[in-house]
Amino acid sequence: MLTETLLSGEFEPPSAADFQFAPIFGDSILFSKPVFLVALSVILIASFFIISARKAAVVPSRLQFAGEGVYSFVRNSIGQDVIGPEFMRFVPFLFTLFTFVLCNNLFGIIPFLQFPSMSRIGFPIALAVFTYVVYHYVGIKHHGLKKYIKDICFMPGVPKWIYIILTPVEFATYFIVRPATLSLRLFANMFAGHLLLLVFTMGGEHLLASTILMKILSIFSFGFAIGLTFFEFGIECLQAYIFTLLTALYIAGALADEH
Amino acid sequence: MAVHDEGAFWSIFGYLLSGLVIWGGLGHFVDRWMGTHLFFPGGLLLGISSAFYLIWMRFIKAK
Repeated sequence: MLTETLLSGEFEPPSAADFQFAPIFGDSILFSKPVFLVALSVILIASFFIISARKAAVVPSRLQFAGEGVYSFVRNSIGQDVIGPEFMRFVPFLFTLFTFVLCNNLFGIIPFLQFPSMSRIGFPIALAVFTYVVYHYVGIKHHGLKKYIKDICFMPGVPKWIYIILTPVEFATYFIVRPATLSLRLFANMFAGHLLLLVFTMGGEHLLASTILMKILSIFSFGFAIGLTFFEFGIECLQAYIFTLLTALYIAGALADEH
Repeated sequence: MAVHDEGAFWSIFGYLLSGLVIWGGLGHFVDRWMGTHLFFPGGLLLGISSAFYLIWMRFIKAK
């Protein structure tokens, strides 16, 4: 019954079109809301960490404690645990990646901004390209090009004829599937999450404009939207963590003597 | 440890995906080229079994 009412009431469900934004300045498509959000995130992250670190004291203030908490989480739980002794070299990269993805994801549930910039696929692709270049560069520099490719393509302890079957799979995993899944995972999670929130808020709004029974039912829709907002908060943090963690794992894999 | 489980999960996923895509894709193109219907499922089977073999080599035998 609900569906029928919705269909007859000209409810326009949210679609991919809701992820397209009009340009802010004139008609240049280069500067729209997602680009603005990314620029804003850089300013926010930079000022947060500059302010939190400026009056560094032995007994930290609350702000300094928060800033150091994020830093030591990335350094210890992601950098040190995964990469091992050489981890300090990569902490700046991992830390930037984590805070940048996290901040841009969280824009999805911050009132008035309410758009996760990572749900536009260009941004995750750009980040995945960074990771891709870094881990291959590190691997090639550590092992030399020939040994690096050989380590990837030829798993030790396998009969020779099986390499014909296995080598394409290994090669594709390292050079195509890894960067593709890295960017798609982040993009798809943010896209789906934002769409889900849109469905329940727009649905609730639509029900509110209908009969009295529908008005009562809209409470459930809005309730779901609020519940899902908390759920989204978890997903957004988790995706930022997974993106950084996998980057660290790929770097660790490139540095390892055998995989 | 939880961190490495997460990593293992995504490597396994990556192997399965690339196994299917590479050999299934190759089979698909051979089918289109030759006009047969056998190489695509064959390629998928070959891909998934090579992926399982790689996972076994890397995560079970290596330990």
